[in-house]
Amino acid sequence: MLEIKHIRKSFGRNEVLKDVSLNVKKGEVVVILGPSGSGKTTLLRCLNFLEKADSGEITIGNKNVVIQNAGRKDILDLRRKTGFVFQNYNLFANKTALENIMEGLVTARKVPKKDARNIAEETLKWVGLHDKADYYPSQLSGGQQQRVGIARAVALNPEVILFDEPTSALDPELVGEILELIKKVATKGITMIVVTHEMTFAQDVADKVIFMDGGVVVEEGAPKEIFYRPKEERTKQFLAKFIIPDNMYYI
Amino acid sequence: MQIDVKAIFESFVSGLTYLPKTLILILVPLSIGLVVGTSIALVRIYKVPVLSQFFAVFIPVYQGVPIVVALMVYNLIYLMKTNDVLKFFGSSKTIADIDSIYVGLFALSLMMICSISEVMRGALLSINKGQYEASYSVGMTKPQTLRKIILPQVISIAIPALINTTVGLIKSTSIVYAIGIAEILSGALVPSSRKYTFFEGYLAAAIIYWILTILIELLYSYLEKRTSIFKTGKTENKKLWSLKCWRSNTSEKALAEMKS
Repeated sequence: MLEIKHIRKSFGRNEVLKDVSLNVKKGEVVVILGPSGSGKTTLLRCLNFLEKADSGEITIGNKNVVIQNAGRKDILDLRRKTGFVFQNYNLFANKTALENIMEGLVTARKVPKKDARNIAEETLKWVGLHDKADYYPSQLSGGQQQRVGIARAVALNPEVILFDEPTSALDPELVGEILELIKKVATKGITMIVVTHEMTFAQDVADKVIFMDGGVVVEEGAPKEIFYRPKEERTKQFLAKFIIPDNMYYI
Repeated sequence: MQIDVKAIFESFVSGLTYLPKTLILILVPLSIGLVVGTSIALVRIYKVPVLSQFFAVFIPVYQGVPIVVALMVYNLIYLMKTNDVLKFFGSSKTIADIDSIYVGLFALSLMMICSISEVMRGALLSINKGQYEASYSVGMTKPQTLRKIILPQVISIAIPALINTTVGLIKSTSIVYAIGIAEILSGALVPSSRKYTFFEGYLAAAIIYWILTILIELLYSYLEKRTSIFKTGKTENKKLWSLKCWRSNTSEKALAEMKS
């Protein structure tokens, strides 16, 4: 369903992604873990060409793009198959919550305005912000903004939603509610790739955990395996910094 | 020195009859400046090859030339070359058939293009990169992103600086007087040269320019409120909010004083 092959990306002389390949099945929730600077976010951004990788191949659904020959149309097609949730929300500052969700539907997908409004209202209700439809992002709290951000991605009904550290910019007490919401997205059966530092969340929701370091995939597998029986030394070192008792999530 | 109030009034009326010409000298350069200036700003932001390098050199250099000097140069070119150019294109017209207001419009437009392009570039640079990325991520194209997301935000940011530029333009229109274009200033001085009431004439012109400036500023502040709704929620809230801030500040100060 989503496949990437041999992605490479350098910023100047700094090679951030060194031949990364990945395979995600339909409906799967993949969590990417790793220390800062390991290339997790860059990988995610390369997937919808917010960052143009240097070489490699990306397949999402039935769309296959070889990065070197990617034209404007290919990039647009790929972007229209993905949703993206940003670390710092990035809601359109000049649009209300409702318009934020409608914009992509109306302008990019050419959904009639009336239908788009219905979809947007429904999605907003689904994330629990129906009463904030006419609020501008500047009037919403961080948690509320991220809810709208998630609604914006979900409303487009993409084949895969990419989450780039969706809770990193939030107050600690708001993290829980956003993670709950992301879980709710997962139960919808949407394919998701999540970059996060929330270990318990990863354990709870992921079908597959990928551990990255230094621009390569060090290890990948089911969460139970990665967390309790890591094979690679680097993974063990990384996880040792997080104490993960079995029942921590329920505290 | 005696001020002749009647002469002021006379000059005021006489100046006002040239208001349409001054308005042309304001509105044409302003519109050209907005359209071309914004395009140049975009060219420079998107780093369009060749063009962006050209403007990066041209604009600072051109802005270093005083508008009077530029105007005089264009006027000399106009005086010396118009007949040749017309002949070259096989026209039977001469320089007498071509209004010199075009020289003024050209000089003022170029000035406005340069300053507005800098204003717009500054405003564009202040937009968070995330706004572009979010727009691309929902599948919008570059032109759609610009039209729907970026420019509406840019305009509200640019308005305070645009007020400044426009007020500068209003005042600059008076210098086309130097190449003999009749506008408010020369109009206001018409009665003066008859009765030697120059002081009153200039005073009347000052009053007209002042009124014009005030009107433009009012228009802009209305636009500013309209375009920046998204920053504050509702337009009316702005005043309330600042009042509230002031109140809470003062009460905090009072509290602090009580404690000490």
